[in-house]
Amino acid sequence: MKEKKYTLISIAAVAIFLIIWQICAAMNPGGMLPTPVAVVKAFFLKFTDKNPDGATMLVHLGASLKVALSGYLIGLLIGIPLGICMAWYKKFDWFARPLFDLIRPVPGIAWIPLMIILFGIGLLSKSMVIFISSFTACVINSYSGIKQTESVHLWVGQIYGASNTTQLFKIAIPTALPMIMTGMKAALGTSWGALIAAELLASTKGLGFMIQQSRGLMRVDIIIAGMAMIGIVGALLGVLLNLLEKLVLRGGRW
Amino acid sequence: MTKKLFKDRDDFWRLICGIIAILGFLLIWHFGTNGTRLGEIMPGPIVILKSFFEAFTQKTAGYTIFGHTFWSLSRVLVGYSVACVLGISLGLLMGRYRLAEAIFRPFYEMIRPIPPIAWISLAILWFGLGETMAYFIIFLSAFNNITINVFMGTKSINQELVGCAKMLGANEAQVFRTVVIPATIPYIFAGMQIGISSSWAAVVAAEMVRSSKGLGFLIVSGMDINNISQIFVGILAIGIVGFLLATIMRGVEGKLCQWNVRGK
Repeated sequence: MKEKKYTLISIAAVAIFLIIWQICAAMNPGGMLPTPVAVVKAFFLKFTDKNPDGATMLVHLGASLKVALSGYLIGLLIGIPLGICMAWYKKFDWFARPLFDLIRPVPGIAWIPLMIILFGIGLLSKSMVIFISSFTACVINSYSGIKQTESVHLWVGQIYGASNTTQLFKIAIPTALPMIMTGMKAALGTSWGALIAAELLASTKGLGFMIQQSRGLMRVDIIIAGMAMIGIVGALLGVLLNLLEKLVLRGGRW
Repeated sequence: MTKKLFKDRDDFWRLICGIIAILGFLLIWHFGTNGTRLGEIMPGPIVILKSFFEAFTQKTAGYTIFGHTFWSLSRVLVGYSVACVLGISLGLLMGRYRLAEAIFRPFYEMIRPIPPIAWISLAILWFGLGETMAYFIIFLSAFNNITINVFMGTKSINQELVGCAKMLGANEAQVFRTVVIPATIPYIFAGMQIGISSSWAAVVAAEMVRSSKGLGFLIVSGMDINNISQIFVGILAIGIVGFLLATIMRGVEGKLCQWNVRGK
């Protein structure tokens, strides 16, 4: 009963906000704030309308997703094993850690200009930026995940004659999986942000390109529609990862 | 895995291996770019170090590297401070009072999945090309992280403690000051820690898109004039400052939260 009341309050808050927005925006037409109705209209119109930036919303979305997912997957494929190796093999850690610590404090976004000069403005340069952004989060999280393994568990393994590799795969990696999943989620967030930054700076399609073009044309309604799309897709990808996490972890039963 | 016995000797070898790794990396870079085809577009490490030290005194686009760093840091300071104040208050309110959560949570959940960088276009149209745009972007990226951490922290307070305090006659203000806030401090620091690194990334992004000074501008203007060593100088400075900011935050947390495990 009480929960229902709070849900109603939430709905009322959003409704009041939208009404105030509508009134404010309707009072000064031609201003930098379109009405929420106009935004919703622009959002749905953009699915079929190529104006003003040359492609429909879905084409932009597809371009963005291609770049983001390719960079992100490479980041996972290299970052997670690297983090695991660094945590498990001490000697490897001694060599790899100083190099990793060199690039770690640099935000992935800062590499954009260099990548554009080296690889042009196509898929490769943007995927590289996203790769770097997701890579660091994956390495750090899988590293600390492996380090969480309790010595007692490893001793049990040793007593029963498990080899070093068996201990790694049967004890340490299962322990680390929740942390690895956390790293994957963090990496997704940063890479989605880095993608938008890369597209704002230099690209010919993609959601970031769309809002950048609309800025030049003062089409605030399309900007907000694009931001909504970015938010929705980012949230959806997060939901997918959560599902994957449930599937993989299954309540820690291994 | 952690043997205490050879700790000192391990540290020694760790240092040696680290030096070997970095030297090896620099050597490969040096010989890879020296007199090869790659060297035509990519400067070697020596050139970059030289221009890094030259940038201490030589002005690029009106400022030395310290000037650019100062501009970026001042922007971060403004946006980050506002984000700390608002984010911590909002997080505490939403976590403590169900009514505040009901009102503000929907808006927060709407803003949260949008990367702060995506606001840049809108911010430019709303606030113009000036400093306010950068402040806004930095504010957003720190605010998102701080609020969620403080909110989760406040939610996870042991309700028995709150009940105890109430039973012993504490009023709401006392509960808030003596139970809720101390219990949330570790989460506040965790949020501030993530917030400072994300706002440092945000200032770089904001300056890259539109600015005439700051480290982000330095690297993007290096791209425009095709000067790779200037880009590397910028990246180096961004990395060093980012590292220092994170270290300072961790140090402050370690000093102020010595009672807490996370503070270590």
